[in-house]
Amino acid sequence: MPAGNLSRLTVIFVALSTPAFGGDVDFNRDVRPILSNHCFTCHGPDAETREGGLRLDLREAATGAGDSGARAIVPGDVSASEIIRRVTATDPDVHMPPANGPKALDDKQIATLKAWIENGAEYQSHWAFVPVKEPAVPKASGSDWARNDIDHFVFAQLLDKQLKPAAEATRETLIRRVAFDVTGLPPTVDEVDQYLADKSDQAYERMVDRYLKSPAYGEHMARHWLDLARYADTNGYQYDTEREQWVWRDWVIDAYNRNMPFDRFTIEQLAGDMLPDATAQQRLATGFNRNHGITIEGGIIDEEYRTEYVMDRVSTTGGVWLGLTVGCARCHDHKYDPISQREFYQLYSFFNQVPERGMSGFTPSEKIPSPLAGDRQQQLESKLRELRAQLASPVDLDSDLDKWAGQLAKSSAGGWNALTPQTLESSGGSTLTALDDHSILAGGANPRQDIYDISSQTDALDITAVRLEALTHESLPGGGPGRHSNSNFVLSEFELTAVSVVDESKTQVVKFVRAISDYEQANYEVARAINGTVANNDGWAVDGPTRKERATAMFIAEKPFGFAGGTQLRFRLRHEASFATHGIGRARISVTTDAESDLSLQGIPAEIRQIAVTEKAARSAEDAAKLQDYFIAHHDPRKDLKQRIAAIEQQQANAFPATMIMQDMPQPRKTFVLHRGQYNEPTDEVTADVPAVFPSLPKGTAANRLGFAHWLMDPAHPLTARVAVNRYWQRLFGTGLVKTSEDFGVQGSLPSHPELLDWLATEFIRSGWDVKHIQRLMITSATYRQTSRVGAAAYQTDPENRWLARGPRMRLDGEELRDAALLASGLLVNQLGGKSVYPYQPAGLWMELNNRPGYSKEYPQGSGDDLYRRSVYTFWKRTVPSPMLKILDAPERESCTIRRSRTNTPSQALVLLNSPQFVEAARHLGERMMKHDSPRLEDKLTFGFRLVTAREPTKPEMAAIFEAFESEQRKLAESPETALKILQVGESEFDSTLDQSQLAAFASIASLYLNLDEAITKG
Amino acid sequence: MNNPIQESQLLQTRRHFFGRSSTGIGVAALASLMNTSSPATANPTSDVLSHLSQIAPKAKRVIYLLQSGAPSQVDLYDYKPSLDKLDRTELPDSIRQGQRLTGMTAGQKNFTVVKSPWKFQQHGQSGTWLSELLPHMSNVVDDICVIRSMHTEAINHDPAITFFQSGNQQPGRPSIGAWLSYGLGSETQDLPSFVVLLTKNTFHQAQPLYDRLWGSGFLPSKYQGVKFRSQGDPVLYLNDPTGRSSTDRRTMLDRLENLNRMHEAEIGDPEISSRIAQYEMAYRMQTSVPELADTSDEPASTFELYGEDARQPGTHAANCLLARRLAERGVRFIQVFHRGWDHHSNVQKYLPTLTKETDQGSAGLIEDLKQRGMLEETLVIWAGEFGRTVYSQGNPNTFGRDHHPRCFSIWMAGGGIKPGISYGQTDDYCYNIAENPVHVHDFHATLLHCLGINHEELTYRFQGRDFRLTDVHGKVVSDILT
Repeated sequence: MPAGNLSRLTVIFVALSTPAFGGDVDFNRDVRPILSNHCFTCHGPDAETREGGLRLDLREAATGAGDSGARAIVPGDVSASEIIRRVTATDPDVHMPPANGPKALDDKQIATLKAWIENGAEYQSHWAFVPVKEPAVPKASGSDWARNDIDHFVFAQLLDKQLKPAAEATRETLIRRVAFDVTGLPPTVDEVDQYLADKSDQAYERMVDRYLKSPAYGEHMARHWLDLARYADTNGYQYDTEREQWVWRDWVIDAYNRNMPFDRFTIEQLAGDMLPDATAQQRLATGFNRNHGITIEGGIIDEEYRTEYVMDRVSTTGGVWLGLTVGCARCHDHKYDPISQREFYQLYSFFNQVPERGMSGFTPSEKIPSPLAGDRQQQLESKLRELRAQLASPVDLDSDLDKWAGQLAKSSAGGWNALTPQTLESSGGSTLTALDDHSILAGGANPRQDIYDISSQTDALDITAVRLEALTHESLPGGGPGRHSNSNFVLSEFELTAVSVVDESKTQVVKFVRAISDYEQANYEVARAINGTVANNDGWAVDGPTRKERATAMFIAEKPFGFAGGTQLRFRLRHEASFATHGIGRARISVTTDAESDLSLQGIPAEIRQIAVTEKAARSAEDAAKLQDYFIAHHDPRKDLKQRIAAIEQQQANAFPATMIMQDMPQPRKTFVLHRGQYNEPTDEVTADVPAVFPSLPKGTAANRLGFAHWLMDPAHPLTARVAVNRYWQRLFGTGLVKTSEDFGVQGSLPSHPELLDWLATEFIRSGWDVKHIQRLMITSATYRQTSRVGAAAYQTDPENRWLARGPRMRLDGEELRDAALLASGLLVNQLGGKSVYPYQPAGLWMELNNRPGYSKEYPQGSGDDLYRRSVYTFWKRTVPSPMLKILDAPERESCTIRRSRTNTPSQALVLLNSPQFVEAARHLGERMMKHDSPRLEDKLTFGFRLVTAREPTKPEMAAIFEAFESEQRKLAESPETALKILQVGESEFDSTLDQSQLAAFASIASLYLNLDEAITKG
Repeated sequence: MNNPIQESQLLQTRRHFFGRSSTGIGVAALASLMNTSSPATANPTSDVLSHLSQIAPKAKRVIYLLQSGAPSQVDLYDYKPSLDKLDRTELPDSIRQGQRLTGMTAGQKNFTVVKSPWKFQQHGQSGTWLSELLPHMSNVVDDICVIRSMHTEAINHDPAITFFQSGNQQPGRPSIGAWLSYGLGSETQDLPSFVVLLTKNTFHQAQPLYDRLWGSGFLPSKYQGVKFRSQGDPVLYLNDPTGRSSTDRRTMLDRLENLNRMHEAEIGDPEISSRIAQYEMAYRMQTSVPELADTSDEPASTFELYGEDARQPGTHAANCLLARRLAERGVRFIQVFHRGWDHHSNVQKYLPTLTKETDQGSAGLIEDLKQRGMLEETLVIWAGEFGRTVYSQGNPNTFGRDHHPRCFSIWMAGGGIKPGISYGQTDDYCYNIAENPVHVHDFHATLLHCLGINHEELTYRFQGRDFRLTDVHGKVVSDILT
């Protein structure tokens, strides 16, 4: 083994884990990690698994007597402290941790514990749970290196570690670093030249600002956010069918480009639907928490998966905003952090209110336009604004109201008359029983399909409509209203024949022209019960699995019906969907003779009729208001205006797929603690709340998602700002100030620069959560502007660059590599937003895993522009992600990813060397070099080198490149057919006016460039 | 174990056994702590190694023949003469015990028991009972251990296969192979340590597979399985683009290294050296993979063993042969995925097709490994994700069988496993386990044990918690160990 590696290891251990001895023991830094790693599993926050009545995470408990009577920790008295006796014991029965438990403590750790107890065993709150306090900026002498306050903090640490900052990087390095960090793309040669030519003091800042204004910024930032949001274009699980959620992705891009403050960005994504007068765009934002996988596997148990979706929301939201592993408290109290299982389910309750299902749970959803959709949408928007303004202008209601009330006063009693059933028959053998309230209860056999024939008699003439109520009943599964075990029904068709009682030969099949219901399941609208077909499961259903409530439908006849002398009404309720046992459990049928305009599901209430009959002058103010409210609700004089608005909204919406969004049920769903996290083992009921270790919900906010979102953004919250700025830092420097950016809890790593972290958090809040501002601060710091050209020794001293004595240097992400090759070659198609696209991918990858007819398809590789869009638009299939991106460390997006791994593998070399996307890009990059306007070969080669690295090659580099080109050219000139083959990779054409051998030689050099370590690294 | 001398000897054995101390267990863990992607090289006496308890490894590698869709134990490995009497009777509630059913048969009125229509016979010295559908396996029964008492928690495919592959029903955890690559490193510098082979599917209702089944979960992505394919490039992007020869590639890589070295001299980042090394390994794979995939050097006797199917790339037999060739070259974990066992109807028609596709290849592999003396250091596994119901789904005459998690059969053979035994018993209905249940976590613990790993110690810290393949469960099934 090389000596260098050994010393590198040593240094890490020294630098990161040496506890300070003597009086200098710090609880958070030195002691808590020992207790947490070695003791908390049995003596920590989890009450369920606590042993011996001993709890070591709280001072009061740890210094009190355990079950044995002994005191684990006696402050100031090492010899009396049971914990020391135990960790040093030689008898295996006495020794702690026990043999089958965590590792034994080493001498250093024991010494640390002793020193700490000796000094009084003071506890500190876990640093991340303590409110952020703005630290004073250290102004160490010799720190004129600093460009802003960030640097003072970094410099103080460097001094402490006896390190020195590195020199500033070259301008070429800086512009390339900034371009990648801000836009995810390399700088163009023009951009480099412009920056090099700018000799002013503010050249760097101006360059940074130019990139921050580029629309590519939003795409780049969104791409990172999509990992956190586990965004994908498919549903995950089993057949992994497609979904269209890209309008939400466009929302994210747009939000970043508008520099939406982080508090709004958060509140709208978590609870935009609950904001007062929520706009469609605010509802769209909530797609964030619908991005989880959704199953369609036949045979799954609905509640099992619905539960998983809620779990996913809690874990994702906890990881992204709190930087906590909240999900660990699903099955038991958190082992390390102060989050009890009960508190987990209190958080769960916030996200448990969506009216959704486990199986194919794709609703609620809404067609909402993409904010990036451009001019046409803007025209529609302005028309909408105009109409809405008209709608808002006051209208004189009085005359219309008087007229209507007069008519109503004159009309008959009206309302709905429930029919008494006479004969009841079930085709499938169900027992149909008439109850006292005229409803018909189904029981007994529960056939797969069933037709109810119900007859009744009425004297009414001019019947205008029929009402069907599907009622609940305790005898039905889950209370009904349907007979299936999930409480649903599917009414395939509702039919009525009217027969004269006087003359049975006079019959009339009643034609219904309209159907209205108070509830209908998506794709099972009530209109399907009168559309004349029962095929393909067509019919009315009501989300039994999630809703379990009565539902009412009203069917309006084409023209009034009813025979003089009495009419027998023969109803036929057909349940013929392929879903078994989906009959209505308890039906009640009523008829009315009211005019259609006065129809409502429940009829005009008697109270309203009463008021209408009363003379206008005699109505009480309260009654008059009631009458007016009812009138406006049912007879809006501005109906036309509203219809025009609705039509435009429809037009807008039809251009876009329905995006899944968040919504809360009108009746909150109860939440229970789930034993072992199992969906079918509920125990205690809980209500929504936040963990006690944090500040409580802000005054005046409700205990719902919106309240939760406001709670997160409360400036007093100890985590939100720290977690967010740490992620921005991680993006730029490769590693966060807190390395475990996903875990700020007790087991997470301690911040390398705690004060800097707090200062950044304060600054972020103070700036109004200004995302561009806080990143601009980091990017314009001297710390960021350091060179990474520091020599091998420095890399060995601090391999991870935790102390920041050099600039960041790391391999680019897969998306950046692909986009960079496309930009450098001139192939990139810059088009903001829209449907996801299908760039090159080896054939057969989808079908070899999943080839079931009806559920599977070949990867529909795109052509033309679709092959060259930015990677943020690449179609993301969770079970088979883009192989190129996956090989380059992209996650599968089956769950929230806060930190990608960054590996270095042979497969990555193969992608960059051989994949058509990169080979084709090299060909075009070669063509750009060849066509470069200088006649000198060296200039052409330099031009290509600059397109890739932003700098000019050194002399020895140029010599090597030159030699390589000459040799390639010689070889290819001898074999024109080989040259042609090289030029035919990829869909795009090559310029046939050029010399093919030479062009292929340039392509060879371009491929060499694109594979340089420097090309694939942000330096 | 408290004897330091013995401990040290075992440690030596382990290193010797795995051939390359520098890639021993825990070293990868250390490298990942350092968040570096450089090849794992560290001091083998580091305390990361020494804190592991010492188990003498029996197997160096695993070949896992995964049968996706869930084969019917009652028609293949779990002989139930008791069903002769119970045939066409209703499954009593006392047997079903309220077991939750899938949405596919939950609404069914009758649960009519249907015995296996196939004959069973005893084979070998061991007298192991096997269905007539497995004529080739009957020749190797003395080399395998049939576990008839497997059980799992999931009742549907996606959660069940995800559970088998990663120890958790929901996506996100590393697969078995990724855990092994992380824990044991690689025996070869020319091939990946975890290779996945997919059989071309022929069944119209086959369950799909997902990348996550060989994914690295929260482990660094370099530990994910590499898929060897029977169509296109054998490994993604392996072939040089058209017009570029291997010589061209060599020249290009030399130029690339030259330029990269110049840059490294300037910068000093050791990552650049590491990148150069990865490009070299890619180049070696370009030679080694086609060579291993090309079975034309195999003698005729090989194809007698595996069957003529083995000449057809993408068949189960061809993949079994390829698995042996990978094992010979030092690949640590080879997983062959065969799909199509999900027979909700018409078992009589479909099951024989599936056994015909897989029987000879699986048996041939065992025989071949044995002949080459490799069986004792190779753990071979044949398993689906759950079993199938003894009662009929749909009409008992054209019967199908639904998913059954409560008992099913798998077999293990080779490295560390007692040959020629049957383990565990099911009840008369083949519905519940009567004796020696083996849970999926136990199976994982046993698999790791055969490789010399204590399943409680192979951990990776993620989100503050030390995760294991076996979560917080798992018992090694010591009764089946040699």
